[in-house]
Amino acid sequence: MKDKNEQIDLLIERNTTEQLEAVDWDRLNTAISRRLDQARQSTTSRLRFRTVFKIAAGFAAAAAVVFVLVAVRTDTPTTVRFENRGRAVVKFVESKGSAKVEIKHTSAKATVMVGGGISLKRVAKCDIKIIDANGDKEKNGSRAAWIIIRMPEPVLADNGISRDENDFACLL
Amino acid sequence: MNDGQKANTSDIERLVKASQAGDRNAFDKLVRLYQRRVMRMAVRMLGNANEAAEVVQAGFVKAYLGIGKLRNPKRFEVWLLRIVANAAISRARAAKRRAEKVKVAGYYENKKNLSPVERASARELKEAIQQAMLKLSKKEAKAIALFGLKDLSHRQVSEIMGCSVEAARWHVFRARQKLKGLLKDHL
Repeated sequence: MKDKNEQIDLLIERNTTEQLEAVDWDRLNTAISRRLDQARQSTTSRLRFRTVFKIAAGFAAAAAVVFVLVAVRTDTPTTVRFENRGRAVVKFVESKGSAKVEIKHTSAKATVMVGGGISLKRVAKCDIKIIDANGDKEKNGSRAAWIIIRMPEPVLADNGISRDENDFACLL
Repeated sequence: MNDGQKANTSDIERLVKASQAGDRNAFDKLVRLYQRRVMRMAVRMLGNANEAAEVVQAGFVKAYLGIGKLRNPKRFEVWLLRIVANAAISRARAAKRRAEKVKVAGYYENKKNLSPVERASARELKEAIQQAMLKLSKKEAKAIALFGLKDLSHRQVSEIMGCSVEAARWHVFRARQKLKGLLKDHL
């Protein structure tokens, strides 16, 4: 039994030794060295590609965030809140002056939140004064009326526009 | 390290640490120190020097790319042998699937002046061993290859195989039993 085991070991060892004697070690070493060079180059280029990809992805993400912010600001309608729980959405069709207003409830006093719909840099509270609310009601229940929206002084100062020019006259 | 140049443990440790720091020359020295040893193991596992040479190259590349993950530089040899042994197993499986023919040309070029009869006998033995090794399980192939390496303790063999010393011995026993049947014409 032991002899057979030894014979197996000797057979494998003989085959191994015979084959190793014939190996061209310099050639093998050169081949390993070349493979290592290739591996290093491919790792370097992969890392470089990954870095470029990360930077590009960062730029794309930043651009997307800016785009969303601009879109949100542009689409944000100016909201008119009336004291007795009335609410109106004002869409400015020009940079100043006129506006389209959808009104659900009228009141003598209200405040308006001016959002990104106009060229203001920030949301500002404005006073609103209804001039005339005696028009006929339309089918959907809305009523035509003129309002004046006055912007607060600090916002006007930021824009550098005089108060008279920037007061909004809106048809409700 | 009987299969290559002599190097003491501290030299190996220094070379491994330098390689981990990105020193390519240090890794080249490790390749030169260990290539014969890992080649011997791969030939024992695969029975064929050309296949073994491919496995050794792939193993060194894997070791080069992963050397940063080796925590204990003193265990470099065990770690490297495990990489090459696993690469040899993968190669053997792929060869088995493809029923690949033995390559004649390559790194293994018979330089000895053998008579035609001796040459034929050597080729026959090589092919028989190669076919027989493919019929062993991966644990058995690893065990028979590693137990034949000089200066490798049974504990190191079991570490490379990822099992206990007793289990490794059992795999050697099983491998020998199978090989006795498969190589009976050559015994």
